Amino acid sequence: MEGIEQLYTFIAAVQSLKENEWQQFSGIWQPFECKRKTILTAAGETERYLYFVLDGLQRAFYVGDDQKEATIVFTYPHSFSGVADSFLTQTASNYFFETLTASKFLRTTYKQLEELMNKFPAIQQLVLKLTAFALKGVLERQIEIQSFSAEEKFRSLLKRSPHVLQIIPHKYLASYLGIDPATFSKLLGSVRI
Amino acid sequence: MKTFNSNQLLESLQADVRELVLAATYLQKEDPELLLTAPAPGKWNVVQVLEHINSYGRFYLPAIEKSLQVNKPQREMFKPGWFGNYFTKIMKPGENGKITNKMSAPKSHRPASGLDVKPVMDEFFNQQQTLLALLEKAKQKDFGAIRTPISISRFIKLKVGDTFRFLIAHEQRHFLQIANAISDVRNATGKSQANHQAVQRSPAFLHG
Repeated sequence: MEGIEQLYTFIAAVQSLKENEWQQFSGIWQPFECKRKTILTAAGETERYLYFVLDGLQRAFYVGDDQKEATIVFTYPHSFSGVADSFLTQTASNYFFETLTASKFLRTTYKQLEELMNKFPAIQQLVLKLTAFALKGVLERQIEIQSFSAEEKFRSLLKRSPHVLQIIPHKYLASYLGIDPATFSKLLGSVRI
Repeated sequence: MKTFNSNQLLESLQADVRELVLAATYLQKEDPELLLTAPAPGKWNVVQVLEHINSYGRFYLPAIEKSLQVNKPQREMFKPGWFGNYFTKIMKPGENGKITNKMSAPKSHRPASGLDVKPVMDEFFNQQQTLLALLEKAKQKDFGAIRTPISISRFIKLKVGDTFRFLIAHEQRHFLQIANAISDVRNATGKSQANHQAVQRSPAFLHG
């Protein structure tokens, strides 16, 4: 199946699996692709799938009381994707998950993953580590959002992921940092990295 | 006649419904006054349009649910029926985003006046979640063979796949009406639209 080697490479860096564990794990993924601007999960829905991104750009966003969209997270190859908290807790999502460009994935369902987690401690360990790294990322971002100035947020993003300037439209990056698109353009012109 | 891959059709209808949930999420954050003002004398306000959509859901969602209890496993391809295509086509807004053929609602689907925003909104969101779940359930069923009754005639039954298409096209049609109603009310009252993304974001269903 296309993409399964990329999945293996990604997984192997996090957790080593025995041959039969990998065989079972690799067997629960199905290919899935969709057009740009497809909403894959709506607020109020419970996330059914865990996605592994092979191609394209996606984002999760929340619609605030002022009707402003707050972009919470971007995903692109190769990484896991979907509404992680809703998937892991199997409770309703508070936000939307959509593709920004035409996208290709492998995906699996909660039920299939849960079955393997119950059967193989190593797969449970894998999911725990992935969740832990995701949590680390979220808390680091929390600090940036609460304590950093617009310029510091901008610098921090470009230090961590300089390539995003090329792949993510700037209005979405501004929404991700919680700064005004005009401020974002100004920073882009003035800040030397 | 065009046939569809069954799963692709259901996934694309689910994406359409989610697009409507997003549009309604924007409406929910609007000034309620805007949703309760008729765009012109005798025209429905936004809440009435939503209530009209809800009245269809009250009939069709239980009907679909009941018909999906039949145990017939899914087929790979779905072939729409003649009536299904006809009803979907007359409902669907044009490519240019305009409603071309005006029609008037059957008596049983005419909304009352003096509705409250919240209960109508809540029911709309609940119905869309039910609709999404039914589309998911249909992935296991032969929705080209199973049929559901329709609200306006006892003599016609649609394939469930067509009922989904027709019902969602009907919702899309009325969300266009909602967008128009909002901009009419805004123009009439001179209210600014500082950050009106609900209209800015052109609904994906217009681009097919």
